[in-house]
Amino acid sequence: MDEAPLYLRPRLEPPLAPLLDSSDLLHTLVDALGSPLDVLLPDRIAANAERFADVRRAHRLGGREFFAHKANRSSALVRHLAATRAGVDVASLDELRHALGAGFTGDRIVASGPKGPEFLWLAALVGATVHIDGPTELDTLAGIVRDHRLAPVRVLVRLSGFTSPGVAIRSRESRFGVPAAALDGLLDDLERHRDAIDPVGTAYHLDTVSLDEKAVALEGCLHAMNTLRARGFQPRIVDVGGGFGTGYVEHRDEWDRYTTELTRAVLGERPPLTWGGHGYGLRAEGGTVRGSLGLYPAHRPDAGPAYLDALLSRTAPTLGRPLGGLLLENLYDLYVEPGRALLDQCGLTLARVLETRTTRAGEPVLRLAAKATDIGLEDHGVLVDPLLLDRGGSGPADPADAKEPAGVFLTGSLCLESDLITRRRVFLPRTPCPGDLLAFANTAGYCMDFAATHAQRQPPARKVAIGGGPGRWRWTLDEEYWPVPRPEGRSA
Amino acid sequence: MRYDSITDAIGDTPLVRIDPAVHGLRNIDLYAKLEMLNPFGSVKDRAAWNMARPGLAEARRSGATVVELSSGNTAKALAAIAGMHGLPFRSVTNRMRVPEIKDLLLLLGAHIEELPGRTECLDPTLTDDPLTLIHQELSAPDSAHLHTDQYFNPRNADAHAAGTGPEIVADLGGRAPEYFVACVGTAGSSTGVARVLREHDPGTRVVGLVGAKSDFIPGIRTIDEVHEVGLFDPGVYDTIEDVSAEDAVEGMLTLVRRCGILAGPTGGAAYFGAVRHLREVDATLTGRATAVFIVCDRCESYLSYVRRLRPDLFHRPPEANSVASLTEEEVLAAPALDVAEARGWIAKERPLVVDLRSPFAYAALHIEGSVNIVDELFDEMLRGGLPFSTRQPVLLACPVGEQSARYAALLTRMGHTDARSLAGGIIAWRDAGAPLVRD
Repeated sequence: MDEAPLYLRPRLEPPLAPLLDSSDLLHTLVDALGSPLDVLLPDRIAANAERFADVRRAHRLGGREFFAHKANRSSALVRHLAATRAGVDVASLDELRHALGAGFTGDRIVASGPKGPEFLWLAALVGATVHIDGPTELDTLAGIVRDHRLAPVRVLVRLSGFTSPGVAIRSRESRFGVPAAALDGLLDDLERHRDAIDPVGTAYHLDTVSLDEKAVALEGCLHAMNTLRARGFQPRIVDVGGGFGTGYVEHRDEWDRYTTELTRAVLGERPPLTWGGHGYGLRAEGGTVRGSLGLYPAHRPDAGPAYLDALLSRTAPTLGRPLGGLLLENLYDLYVEPGRALLDQCGLTLARVLETRTTRAGEPVLRLAAKATDIGLEDHGVLVDPLLLDRGGSGPADPADAKEPAGVFLTGSLCLESDLITRRRVFLPRTPCPGDLLAFANTAGYCMDFAATHAQRQPPARKVAIGGGPGRWRWTLDEEYWPVPRPEGRSA
Repeated sequence: MRYDSITDAIGDTPLVRIDPAVHGLRNIDLYAKLEMLNPFGSVKDRAAWNMARPGLAEARRSGATVVELSSGNTAKALAAIAGMHGLPFRSVTNRMRVPEIKDLLLLLGAHIEELPGRTECLDPTLTDDPLTLIHQELSAPDSAHLHTDQYFNPRNADAHAAGTGPEIVADLGGRAPEYFVACVGTAGSSTGVARVLREHDPGTRVVGLVGAKSDFIPGIRTIDEVHEVGLFDPGVYDTIEDVSAEDAVEGMLTLVRRCGILAGPTGGAAYFGAVRHLREVDATLTGRATAVFIVCDRCESYLSYVRRLRPDLFHRPPEANSVASLTEEEVLAAPALDVAEARGWIAKERPLVVDLRSPFAYAALHIEGSVNIVDELFDEMLRGGLPFSTRQPVLLACPVGEQSARYAALLTRMGHTDARSLAGGIIAWRDAGAPLVRD
């Protein structure tokens, strides 16, 4: 039986990688600000946006990259991006207010998701572009524009339910957007609202990793743009979203080996890897594996900008030309909404080890000063190892020279059986002691505050923003961050 | 040979010896069981016919649809069989990655549905796999389906226990081979054949081949995926080894180029895996031994798959009159006009304006009076020569002025005296506020 430690080492790039080598600073921050603590790296989000823009420009397309604010509530990230060319996608009234307060102007904001009248009003007032989710929302928005004598509001028609020629490609039903087949009805509504609504384009946000489905959707948007033009509108923007993927795990073999062993564990061919034999969606039935692995594909060779490039290079299913070329020759601009991929490498979450113990069944358990909801990786199906930071150490302990690796379960600080930070045995280079820090890398996209609660009056993590580099790290509280240098005084 | 039905031609496939000069094994005779010579083109013909046959009469009576989860050869065989019996065939799959096979299935009249990809924002409640969903659909009260269920149906392996296995033994003069090598897809052929061979000689060693985990080889499952197969029993195999997509194509090339066996990548994988495994054994042997591997299907359906992995194999010399042969200097020297100059030239000289964008984009908005010749068509035309006089003034337009510059350079090289490019393309034209029309 294979009992060797199964590592899932995180992919680390600068500035995240060198920051993790500064474990004294990270220990000091947690000493001062408490555990858990979210650390953000605003410089990196700007660099990420630029990489997506590079792909877009390589396809000769105009347009803009948008940060989905819902992925992280940080002020530092929003303020830092406000100083770049990127835009922001807001999904609530408060996110919109936050973006405006950070310095974004309406022309760099898109408003998406389910919207109330206040949200619609403020979006229309400041000239944001509104993702229209259906005919009712369109009527409400047009009513608000007329009642308040506002300028016509720019909208993107969010489409879903695309159909493909030849082989039917099934897609998961989306609760959002207008079915592509119902576009005609919506166009009638748009004609009624010509005085109040300016349809500037179409959008899709498809929650799938499949390029085939996205190619069908993007082509569907192109056809819808054509229909808009035929009705006398002048659309010029296609907005593509739904996630371009993030690679969390560095090594493909580790990911492959882990998932293979997980399958074997579910079949009972090896000792369980998980708490109570949890199968992450897999189960055994008569010696055969059923169900599907409910895990994020954490090793992604074609993630982020490369994924966008693959999509734009892909041939459109009916028009037979590359999608990027079709956008270009139809003179359309591309709005890129990379979702979590824009936050790749933009932060980490730190948690203090409080206690180690062994359960009656002999399972080693590590209790952390954090709730499961503060570290959302597991909740999003992302399996990746935390890093163990010694106080005074020069960097994370390296599994490669581990003498006594330890497989431990990580539990949270709530008085609740299910408060498990991981449902799997996490392999660390050594058994941690109370006071050690665990660093969960790459949590900035959806895994910091999206689901964090105040349960049992335990607050969510505080946030700090860090810039600079080795030997010259500069940190501030997230809410104190602004993208301008501050006077630093004289150095000795 | 005369048959009443094409299904009678299923089976009795040849067992062909591979020239030792090709595989280089000194003590082992290696044979290929050419399942690609079945009438619908693959090893799956046997299983499809054996699984479908008992239900066909009842299916015709009730007007049932034949249903299978298949992305390739099983679907192909079932589509043909269903068609012969006047039944519709539907295939549901998340693995349809070979475009030629998709088109072939559509040609055969199959209805194909592809399942959605994994979600990007995980919804942990969505843990039902395609199989479960389809099973729910098939057991709905008013559904009339003949579900052949290839991954779980024992008649899949039985077809090989009754046909493929005994044929191999008969062709080897009543002996089982010492080694049998097969790729594991539904596990039907390997399980069925192994059963028969071991009845003859319990010492027969069975090598199962699976795809390397992050690779895709049509018709083969990876080590994790085989666990989802009901027919898969690890006890059948003495060893399970993996092959990469590159290995599969390498093996396929040997069969295609050196053995005259026009095998597809799965057959190539079996050959590659067989020789790799046997090479080590060969060194230790003193007497002679026999080995058999299965060639599942033919290569023609996988040209695009192979092209993606090995573009070098499809290398062709550059065409005459092709933009690819232009130098950077030639392109830079191509005459170009900015929007204002172009508008003046159009008003004065009335040149032929050629819009190189797709008809879809042209139909939406274009320069008034322009003709649309999409770049790929224009490219084709120029290979044969100029489609207009060398003295006819021509203004070429594309989205941003890059392609038009190339074609202006090419026309100039071909002897045209007045071909110009619209600098900045239609986008610059629009941004300058020049008029664009739609019909």
